[in-house]
Amino acid sequence: MNNDDETAKADGGTASQSETVEDERHEEHPLEWDEPENNDKAPDERDSVSHRAEKYDDRKLVTGQAKYTADYEERYPDLAYAAVVRSEIPHGRVTGIDASAAEAMDGVEVVLTPESDAVPNGKYTSAGQSYPEPSPWDMRVLNEHVRYIGDPVAAVAAEDRATATAAVEAIEVSYEEDDYVTDPEEAFDGDAPQLFEDGEVENEIVGYDYDRNRMAHIEGELGDVDAALDGDTHVHETEWETIRQSHANVEKHTSLAYTDEDDRHVLITSTQVPNHTRRQLAHLFDIPIRDIRVTKPRVGGGFGGKQAMVVEPIPLALSLATDRPVLYEASRQEEFYAMRSRHPMKVRAKTAVTDDGDIEAIDLYALSNTGAYGSHGMTVAGNVGSKPLPLYSKVPNARFEADIVHTNTPQTGAMRGYGAPQGTLALEGHLDEVARDLGLDPIEFRRRHHMEVGDLDEIAGMMGGEGAERRIRSCGLDECIERGKEAIGYDDLEQPEEDHLHRGIGMALSAQGTGVAGDELGAAQLMMNEDGSFHLQVGGVDIGTGADTAFLQIAAEVLGCDEDDIIVKSSDTDVTPFDYGAYASSTTYISGMAVKKAAEDAKARILDWGSKLLDEPVEKLETGNGTVYSETSGDSVALEEIGYEAAYGDDEREHILGKGTHCTDESPPPFAAQFADVTVDETTGEFDVHKLVVAVDCGVAINPGMAEGQIEGANHMSYEMAVSEGITLDDEGRAEVTDFDEYGLPSATETPPIESILVETHEPTGPFGAKSVAEVPTNTVPPALSNAVRDAVGVRIREMPITAEKIASKLDERTD
Amino acid sequence: MPKTGGYAVDIELTINGERTIVEAGSETDLATVLRQHGYIGVKCGCDGGTCGASKVFVDGEVRMACGMTAADADGSEVQTVAALGTQDDLHPVQQAFVDNFAVQCGFCIPGMVIQAVALLDSNPDPTEREVREALDDNVCRCTGYQKPVEAVLDAADRMQGEQSVAADGGQPASLGPRGADSTDCCGGGCDE
Ligand code: FES
Ligand code: FES
Repeated sequence: MNNDDETAKADGGTASQSETVEDERHEEHPLEWDEPENNDKAPDERDSVSHRAEKYDDRKLVTGQAKYTADYEERYPDLAYAAVVRSEIPHGRVTGIDASAAEAMDGVEVVLTPESDAVPNGKYTSAGQSYPEPSPWDMRVLNEHVRYIGDPVAAVAAEDRATATAAVEAIEVSYEEDDYVTDPEEAFDGDAPQLFEDGEVENEIVGYDYDRNRMAHIEGELGDVDAALDGDTHVHETEWETIRQSHANVEKHTSLAYTDEDDRHVLITSTQVPNHTRRQLAHLFDIPIRDIRVTKPRVGGGFGGKQAMVVEPIPLALSLATDRPVLYEASRQEEFYAMRSRHPMKVRAKTAVTDDGDIEAIDLYALSNTGAYGSHGMTVAGNVGSKPLPLYSKVPNARFEADIVHTNTPQTGAMRGYGAPQGTLALEGHLDEVARDLGLDPIEFRRRHHMEVGDLDEIAGMMGGEGAERRIRSCGLDECIERGKEAIGYDDLEQPEEDHLHRGIGMALSAQGTGVAGDELGAAQLMMNEDGSFHLQVGGVDIGTGADTAFLQIAAEVLGCDEDDIIVKSSDTDVTPFDYGAYASSTTYISGMAVKKAAEDAKARILDWGSKLLDEPVEKLETGNGTVYSETSGDSVALEEIGYEAAYGDDEREHILGKGTHCTDESPPPFAAQFADVTVDETTGEFDVHKLVVAVDCGVAINPGMAEGQIEGANHMSYEMAVSEGITLDDEGRAEVTDFDEYGLPSATETPPIESILVETHEPTGPFGAKSVAEVPTNTVPPALSNAVRDAVGVRIREMPITAEKIASKLDERTD
Repeated sequence: MPKTGGYAVDIELTINGERTIVEAGSETDLATVLRQHGYIGVKCGCDGGTCGASKVFVDGEVRMACGMTAADADGSEVQTVAALGTQDDLHPVQQAFVDNFAVQCGFCIPGMVIQAVALLDSNPDPTEREVREALDDNVCRCTGYQKPVEAVLDAADRMQGEQSVAADGGQPASLGPRGADSTDCCGGGCDE
């Protein structure tokens, strides 16, 4: 084998590398990290970080006083209400819109159609991503060419909601219908009806082939997978299928638009991405970015569904047309068929494993159904491979390929986990099966191969992306496995007395990222008031996760003050610095680091003032308990005194300000080990999940209470993916689900107890050692439950959801 | 979608202790009327009846405010979440939700709190199963119900004057040494 760079790289970082290459790569991806000293203070030496600080907005939330977008209604007495006419056919052209009856109704202000002046002509993507978006610009605000049942065709503004809804019903749309296709495999086979003409889409994505309804194709390989598969190994292949999962955010997509006294267009909106939304609206409506203000009040859940500009253009267009503030609140039914969902996928996993149980190669292929438009299609599919595969970065040969295809079905988008749940099901289910086939303990099998501290993870970079290859500097997988095993009672499982009941435990590992390597930006600034308090302005977005609280804890830790002495203002593009938004598990890591830098910047000025007032050198001074104190003399001066002194006292008065900006090529993975304890009835296939345990290595938990909440919520969402049908469609691609009951969200009695375990490690690149926490436990229940059922009764369910009927039919096959 | 319309009627309501006469359409639902009058703690997460966010007390009974007309409530005493406690003086159930980190986005929480208060009124010492059953038609997308259920059990303990888990620092045993640190657990809201 050659020792040149190319080969060494393709070889997956195995023993054959020359020293030079190893050195260079150590330099590029060092293990030792030059981190600020306060990053690794022991948790019990910290004042704010690592503590269960009360959530900043909780008292408002529990008393019902917090304001979400719809609660701004009362502020605008001349508010008009929007409703949308949506396509009732899966595919075709609008040939006429008769709005005369609607326009004649009392209280109807305006009806907009694709032809109306206020409606932008241009194409865009709803994906709220960096610019230019890695998603095709393939949709319009209102469409003449409709591609799914639910495509927006016309919009109404009226005096009240009821009139707007009645007007929508009075509008008659005529169509010329085209053939349609709803099955992704059919859509991709070449003879299916075509959704897009060549050249019709702007910002096309690599691998597009509209003749075959393919929106994108991606692939990456490390080593030589085919050679390994052809070698002297056991080759296993399995195929897995996932549901069309709904975000089911309890607050519906809601957005209010108006023009303010300075002629600027303001959107109060339930979004995860205020800055992206501002940019997207500016391009779409041809308004300078500076003339749009996007602000987010409390947000009632996002989970990726609000990382999309789904509703905002409608109230903006209507407000431009009527010169009135306009509120658009999607209906619950619209949430299921016209907002966004998780991409349903088929994922095929193949491995080559030696007699001794060494994995020689892993090969994953995903067919993703992106629905009518391509938002987040390529990037979500990329994560099917790039998130779970690095778990086994010691495997020398790995390949991932995906085809992302259009069908005449509702639009998919970003959703918590972002492709990783689909990939994790396939990989963790597959490896479990392989271990059992080889007679190996599934946990020990994983232990032999999983990633460790010091590993150079090349799989994360194999699909391109310069910064994606990474050194692993923190990894608590072994501890996650150990503590999870113990909590679920892995070693002393008791079987039920009844012969037809069998109990089993399944486990699965997971890895995610923390932010998008090389593609994120967060910024923050901190203003000191003369009373020694602070205003923290941060672009980072709290959508219910507690991010604002984490920011306060980080700032308070640096400044040595109480969290209550900091007021946070987050996510208002007129007031807060730039931020990419709440997605990719980046908030605490990226925006939090910006907050830390801003606080350190402010602290430096504060120490200067302390030095003047105490007449001691800065090096001797520290902040703590709301003061600057001298570590030698013990003298101190209150922050309040510094505030007044800086503002009113000295000839060289100044407003103490700190600023911080953070972007990085790093994206350290958090890890999780999931366990599910299940009893299956061999006569009926019915099963009872006694408990879910998930142990998560999120680095340092900035607020352990909030981190547990994130873990449990994510695990619940993951459980739903394992046992509920999601959004089912009829033959025409019409969503059959109209409300929560039909959707089948597991309720409080239907959800098993969830035990979250924090396995804390220290990630040197993160603020105070933090990595991400909110996505990694979204990935693990489907494989763990599939593995548990297999453990209990020896049958394997590969198509989600796992139901008693499916288990029963497999049990029948088994006894045949 | 909220139901409005019908002919205009005057409706007498006592909302959170204040007697008011409101004019509303005979078909307008109670949630809409309450929200129009500034009681924004009444949340609407669905098109009616499947999320539980709009729960209020009507003459002491838990009702989904979206599921009845305001006219049906004529002459009634209505209590929204705002009647239970203030930010400075939370109801024990609200306090337990805060201390147990049971609140994430908060959109479902007013309905949950109302339901939990109703449960503890009728059953001061519920089992975990009974708590789950009580919350069964309150949809929470954020929490997976684990912490809300723990919060309600904790509130039950507090209301019975027993020492609660959260008054101990609210730390599950798995957290180790930091479990001893109680001062930051609840912002001073607990007994310590
Ligand atoms: S809005 Fe009343 S139950 Fe959902
Ligand atoms: S806290 Fe978000 S829905 Fe319950």
